[in-house]
Amino acid sequence: MMKNIYTYLRKLLILLGFGLLCLVADAYSEQGSFLDQIKQSAPLPKDVNQNELDQNLPRQAVKVEMKYQGGDFWTESRKDKVERYPCYACHNSKPEKSKSTGEMVHGDILLDHGGAEKPLACATCHVKDSPHFLKTAEKDNIDMDHSYDLCGQCHFRQKQDWIGGAHGKRVSNWAGKRVVKNCTACHNPHSPLFQKRWPTTYSPPISK
Amino acid sequence: MDDIKNKVDKKKYGRRTFLKRAAQTALLSAAASATGCGGLIQNSESLQLQWKEYFKKHYRLMTQQEKEETVERLERLSKIQKQVDIQVGTHKPVDGVLFGYAFNLTRCEGFMECVAACVKENNLDRQSQTQYIRIFEMEPGAMSPESGNGKYFHEVPVDHHFYMGVQCFHCENAPCIKACPTKATWKEPDGIVVVDYDWCIGCRYCMAACPYYGRRFNWNKPQVPPDEMTRNQHYLGNRIRPKGTMEKCTFCIQRTRNGRLPACVEACPTGARVFGNLLDPDSEIRFVLKHKKVFRLREDLATDPKFWYFID
Repeated sequence: MMKNIYTYLRKLLILLGFGLLCLVADAYSEQGSFLDQIKQSAPLPKDVNQNELDQNLPRQAVKVEMKYQGGDFWTESRKDKVERYPCYACHNSKPEKSKSTGEMVHGDILLDHGGAEKPLACATCHVKDSPHFLKTAEKDNIDMDHSYDLCGQCHFRQKQDWIGGAHGKRVSNWAGKRVVKNCTACHNPHSPLFQKRWPTTYSPPISK
Repeated sequence: MDDIKNKVDKKKYGRRTFLKRAAQTALLSAAASATGCGGLIQNSESLQLQWKEYFKKHYRLMTQQEKEETVERLERLSKIQKQVDIQVGTHKPVDGVLFGYAFNLTRCEGFMECVAACVKENNLDRQSQTQYIRIFEMEPGAMSPESGNGKYFHEVPVDHHFYMGVQCFHCENAPCIKACPTKATWKEPDGIVVVDYDWCIGCRYCMAACPYYGRRFNWNKPQVPPDEMTRNQHYLGNRIRPKGTMEKCTFCIQRTRNGRLPACVEACPTGARVFGNLLDPDSEIRFVLKHKKVFRLREDLATDPKFWYFID
């Protein structure tokens, strides 16, 4: 009889302990992870906290045609970095004085885009009769500043990331008006792969 | 009534005031005998400033006026001792901001522009080659920088390798803060873990507590050429540290509290570094957290670093 009582008591104790554990675990799960807490936090009022911050941005920024999750955003201008812009200063009705003019002016361009299987030609992106503009499969009067439209035809995944903010980078500020680098700020459009080079500095071995 | 009066009178010349004045006289007389009168006149301003600096409070206990006074003293001292005009800021955290950082493992090519920019921006000691950021060259499939090569110096990127940068991760639940015996290191409301360099006693407990090797120690007085010094400084950031104190990455507090990007992010030539406000659902960092495969180092320690790695 006594033995029976002891076994019951033991079972009861185990059950009680288990219940307590469940309660504690529940309390912890309600608290949520750090990331959950961030996501649940109230969105901040947009203009309040950013007025006092540095709004010093590059002047040559153009509005991007698409919107990102926070609305409009801007990108650095490309046109002011193109040598010999505007194109029609040379590409006009005047006759060529030398047969090798093209070679002399644009001979430094190395076209290495698309690999051996699908190499790109000049006319893939440039409009032959009006070289002032770029073209896609759909349109052929794209402004040089909006070259992301062009790149996004093939590199659509990178374009999505660029719009959202996982590819490319902001120009100088994390706060305020969003101005990001254009595709051509980092990639040479004619040979877009980054060249191998020596690192800028090195790290000495760790000594604790 | 008399009792109270006596107490007040006693308070006027307490132990602290007595010690202060006695030491002041002793120091002044010692300086006078050591340097002669001419030297005393030249150095007296510097000495006085250093004296006042020695008795200042912990940064978090200072009133706004006290902060302004110490900043003024630091700027003047730099002018007298190094002939460099600096501006030391005490910018407060901005409401509704919690800083977060993401590192793209697919994009980093190991050019180490970030390391060079960080050394320059944060006035790091050139003599001992202190660096806050370390880039590891990693074998494919490796997850921990311990297995990587942290001292490579050859043409990069090497084929079939990836590059992983580490620095202070600004943990939400930071072990270094708990280890500090003098409360000289703490987490600011915008999530940046900072050090009060004048309150640090240099015991290096925090260095031992950090599982990420995020902290650095000043074995010598930092040597920075005056023409290379970054003059826009912050009290908790890149001002010249005294010898024998801890220092670490502060997410470039002198820049980010003004809305600018940290120096490493701005210098990165491949766009592998993403920085922003975690509390803003439209920010780039939140986009990365939502749409990319992210992980953090040593999540099993529950330190909750605000530094994510992601893969394209």
